[in-house]
Amino acid sequence: MSNRKEIARRVVEQAAACDISLVASLPDNWVAEVIRTFDRDDRFRHVPVNREESAVGLCSGAFFSGTGSMAVMGASGLMTLIYAITKINYTYEVPLMILATLRGAPGDTAKFHVSNGLYFLQSLDAIKLTYTVIDSADKIPEIKRMYDHSRIVSRPAVAIMTRDVLRGEA
Amino acid sequence: MTIPYRDAFQLLAGKREEELVVTSAGNSSQMWWDVTKDADKTFYLDASMSMSTLFASGVAYGLPQAKVWAFMGDGAFVMNPAMLMVERDLDLPNLVHILVSNRVYGGTSDLDLPNKPVTDYVAMAKSMGLDRCWNFDTLSALDDGFDAAFRGNDKGHSFVVLELEPMTAEDHRIEEPPMDGPEIKFRFGRYIESIYGTKVFSHQF
Repeated sequence: MSNRKEIARRVVEQAAACDISLVASLPDNWVAEVIRTFDRDDRFRHVPVNREESAVGLCSGAFFSGTGSMAVMGASGLMTLIYAITKINYTYEVPLMILATLRGAPGDTAKFHVSNGLYFLQSLDAIKLTYTVIDSADKIPEIKRMYDHSRIVSRPAVAIMTRDVLRGEA
Repeated sequence: MTIPYRDAFQLLAGKREEELVVTSAGNSSQMWWDVTKDADKTFYLDASMSMSTLFASGVAYGLPQAKVWAFMGDGAFVMNPAMLMVERDLDLPNLVHILVSNRVYGGTSDLDLPNKPVTDYVAMAKSMGLDRCWNFDTLSALDDGFDAAFRGNDKGHSFVVLELEPMTAEDHRIEEPPMDGPEIKFRFGRYIESIYGTKVFSHQF
């Protein structure tokens, strides 16, 4: 098993440990292997979405059916969600678990993610969106801690994974 | 032809049985509250541009024994019409997507939608593979077609377009649902817990 696949497997096992059974995703290259692993695993219903707001709607509604869920996306996708998160999850105090990527950080070779490097985490701070950065594989269990935290505080929580972790290099 | 906004909502409220309802940005929250005063079986998802039907899909997905109606104004719909691709993939037989088409942004002073005279919402839905689509532009047609459109969806997700007039000036003055977000959350969630035996709220004191 490649390092990338092993990391994806460990992420998926964290989701299973949370009793998550519904996963909505819109891909970022960095989490493509994670998404494929969810898609192949019969413990999950994987729903590809047309835009990240759709994942917020779907996962927020799933909460009311007692279904554990997670939205998987890139940093750019999360940057589009300020309206959705504040209007649904903040106004109604609905938990939501998001797995995202730390695009634009040192090591990201994509020039078009420079803006994420400048403003991504600061934007989350600006709306008081709770997050943790998973920058080494031994922090992958933080995913379940963030999921539980989102339920306890009735707000969204985000686990943000770095390039090196997702490549199995950290 | 178009149906007076209030008349359509009154007809649906009269025919509703145990369906859970999710309302939308625009005017559907206001009008549904006015004609039902329902504070338990309805989630008033106000200011939720384009997300009400996928929110309802999440409810319907995990509660296959429930029937779920989701209102969406066409002002919200046009912001994210490809939601129907996701809904088609899910194809939930217990979900009715009710598109309230009055061709204006009803929640923001009834200003016109782009492409107002010609957009064909059913054609848009069919282009994405939905085949259980209805369009009603008279009250009698809605009454006659109600069972097929709203109750006959055991084969899959239904998409129902209601061609309505904008709300009247008098209707714009009716009360908003008099609840804050957390009250709506708990009333709706507790209702689901009591009826369906599902544990919605966890990690509490």
